[in-house]
Amino acid sequence: MAPGGPLEKTIQEIQMGMMTQGEGGASGSGDLVGGVSLPKSALLELKRFYGFDKPIWQRYLIWLGGWPRAIKHRNIVFETDQAEIEKYVGKGTYVTVRKDGDNLSVYNTDGTENNIYSASLDNPEDVEDDGRYHGAIFETEFSGIFTGNLGKSYTYQQPVTEVMKPRFKVSILLGLSGWILSYLICIPLGIRKALNHGSPFDFVSSVIIFVAYSIPGWALGGVLLVLFGGGSFWDVFPLGGFHSPKDVWDGLSLWGKFWDQLHHMILPIIAWTIASFAQLTVLMKNSLLENLSQDYIRTAFAKGITEKRVIWMHAMRNSIIPIASGIGWIIAIVISGSYFIELVFNIDGFGKMGFMAILDRDYPITMGFLVIVVVIRLLANIISDIALALVDPRIRFK
Amino acid sequence: MADNNNQISLSIFKKRWLKFKTMKRGYYSFVILLWMYGLSFLLPLFINNRALIVNFEDTYYFPAVADLIPGVNAYYAGEEFNQDVPGEAKYRLLKEDWETSDSENWLIMPFYPFSPYEDITTKGNKMYDPPSSTHWLGTDDTGRDVFARLCYAFNISISFALVLTVLNYVIGVSIGGAMGYFGGIFDLFFQRILEIWSSLPMLFVVIIMSSILKPSFLLLIFIYTLVNWIMLTYLMRAEFYREKTKDYVSAALSMGQTNSKIIFKHILPNSLVPVITYFPFSVVGGIMALVGLDYLGFGLPPPTPSWGQMLGVGLQNITKWWMVFSPVTAEFLTLLSIVFIGEAVREAFDPKVYSRLR
Repeated sequence: MAPGGPLEKTIQEIQMGMMTQGEGGASGSGDLVGGVSLPKSALLELKRFYGFDKPIWQRYLIWLGGWPRAIKHRNIVFETDQAEIEKYVGKGTYVTVRKDGDNLSVYNTDGTENNIYSASLDNPEDVEDDGRYHGAIFETEFSGIFTGNLGKSYTYQQPVTEVMKPRFKVSILLGLSGWILSYLICIPLGIRKALNHGSPFDFVSSVIIFVAYSIPGWALGGVLLVLFGGGSFWDVFPLGGFHSPKDVWDGLSLWGKFWDQLHHMILPIIAWTIASFAQLTVLMKNSLLENLSQDYIRTAFAKGITEKRVIWMHAMRNSIIPIASGIGWIIAIVISGSYFIELVFNIDGFGKMGFMAILDRDYPITMGFLVIVVVIRLLANIISDIALALVDPRIRFK
Repeated sequence: MADNNNQISLSIFKKRWLKFKTMKRGYYSFVILLWMYGLSFLLPLFINNRALIVNFEDTYYFPAVADLIPGVNAYYAGEEFNQDVPGEAKYRLLKEDWETSDSENWLIMPFYPFSPYEDITTKGNKMYDPPSSTHWLGTDDTGRDVFARLCYAFNISISFALVLTVLNYVIGVSIGGAMGYFGGIFDLFFQRILEIWSSLPMLFVVIIMSSILKPSFLLLIFIYTLVNWIMLTYLMRAEFYREKTKDYVSAALSMGQTNSKIIFKHILPNSLVPVITYFPFSVVGGIMALVGLDYLGFGLPPPTPSWGQMLGVGLQNITKWWMVFSPVTAEFLTLLSIVFIGEAVREAFDPKVYSRLR
């Protein structure tokens, strides 16, 4: 298990809390290390809360949804010679728990077997050794990623899917605008460069492309922030965030919201666009250039077709193929967000959420993030293939 | 160049090298970068807070030189030079003292007398010192000299990227080559592994791993290789696949050559072109990866000088522009020159001549 996991963290928090309560916060630092030990029952409670009381393969199956997940634990204690306990389990119902050796079974008060609740004895190492038998009664359910339940976030105390939803929207808005902008710039630029191959325009734009390739988008974003974020130069754009703070944002009119959003998004989008600018432009240029030197273009010219028609109807249709096959890859990036840009500009997006989850050791979010990103990538691969088949009639999946 | 009348036929690599030399932008970038990288191993002699030569009571000491040689102790306590400071001798102070007091002793400081590690605890260092003639690029949040850190980070970044790339190449060429050459079940098996592996969000996996393992330089390279070998493996597989069907391989096979001989002696040299042209861009990727990871705080352990860490601190102190501009500029210039090299290499190895109508 990773150091600084949620269990250790909570234990530490509780210990710190007990320290400050008990000694007015004025304890010597020497006492801080393991000064207050938690009672075993509290530790067990915590382990149960985080699901760490089970072996790892069971936890994995539970996470998948292929093993019953135990919820709503209630402690029960058997005296040494006691074999039956009546326990209140909420909603006005009582159940009877019978102990037979090390096995516990749950019955309704009328004697029939109960299917909703089950019970088990705790591991003797985890409880106080007082001669009694400690156990727990709990409900079980099958819920895991196969049922759409990604678990509950430790940091937000919310279902993971609920945490993800608003952040998804942010990342998609940012990614889509960046993507559209980069296509709007790169494709015409690539075409123009291919048609004027070797011209001064080609040379100058090549220099720009080299520059753009050599600087990571997020690093450029940082530079832009310093320049325009109101540090020591110009105060044109906000320092970060996706829109103004909530109290300001709520008071804005629709038009005002639009401007506010745009104002916050300009720098991140520039950074986003730069990241794919060089590759996309060069891809477009080379692809068109290659097609223009093919024999069928020569034939088309020889037939006397106008230059415009040759370029746009013949060469372009073939040149767009590699661009189209990259579409899935772009979609994957659009949806899964960019850690760096979201971090630099402090945008609460999907990528930043994933990154912060690792920092906070928020396992449900980390795992959920991985699952969703992988699924998106697989889907994106399929979309790529379909797009390729759409633009290239020579490819048929048969 | 050789006279046309008695033309000596040059080897293909010689021809490519000559062609590479004609591309000024790439060639000069290559020469400059090579020199700078070479010199950067001698950085303790140029940028250091330890003196190059100390002459104290007719004995010579060479602390900065000792810094350079691993295993040699470069530490001299202040008392050794009659300096009243706790711990190591403060050579800059020592120099001032000796110069003002007309002492017989003398010392020569390196060209830029600051170390990348000395922070606010050293007397005279200030936090967030803007660029000046003493600290060329200012100091950072703990009073460390930005310029010194920048230079040391250059060496580390390039070394990281080179080692990473070479390692990737070894794995990529061996696995990819075997996949393409042997085909069959081996190929199918590894193809599935590659597919699964490549659908993982790599950066995320690397962050998870390094957040658990607390990486060192080598461990970080290992982690990154684990996720980074795929690209080249695909490239090599395709290349071997194509070469395998050519006649010269059949000829070699029919002559009874062993598989290893065919792979290494016949196919490999013929499939090197994409590998070599890809090399500079792979180095660019390696540097970018390191900078990114260091920025996120999951790269090399502090206090290792690194551009990413400096950028991260800079972005937290957005008003201290020198802390952002310096690492970005350094990274940018380095990457730009590598891209120039890459472009020239590609042009030399794989010239594309577009025949154009009109």
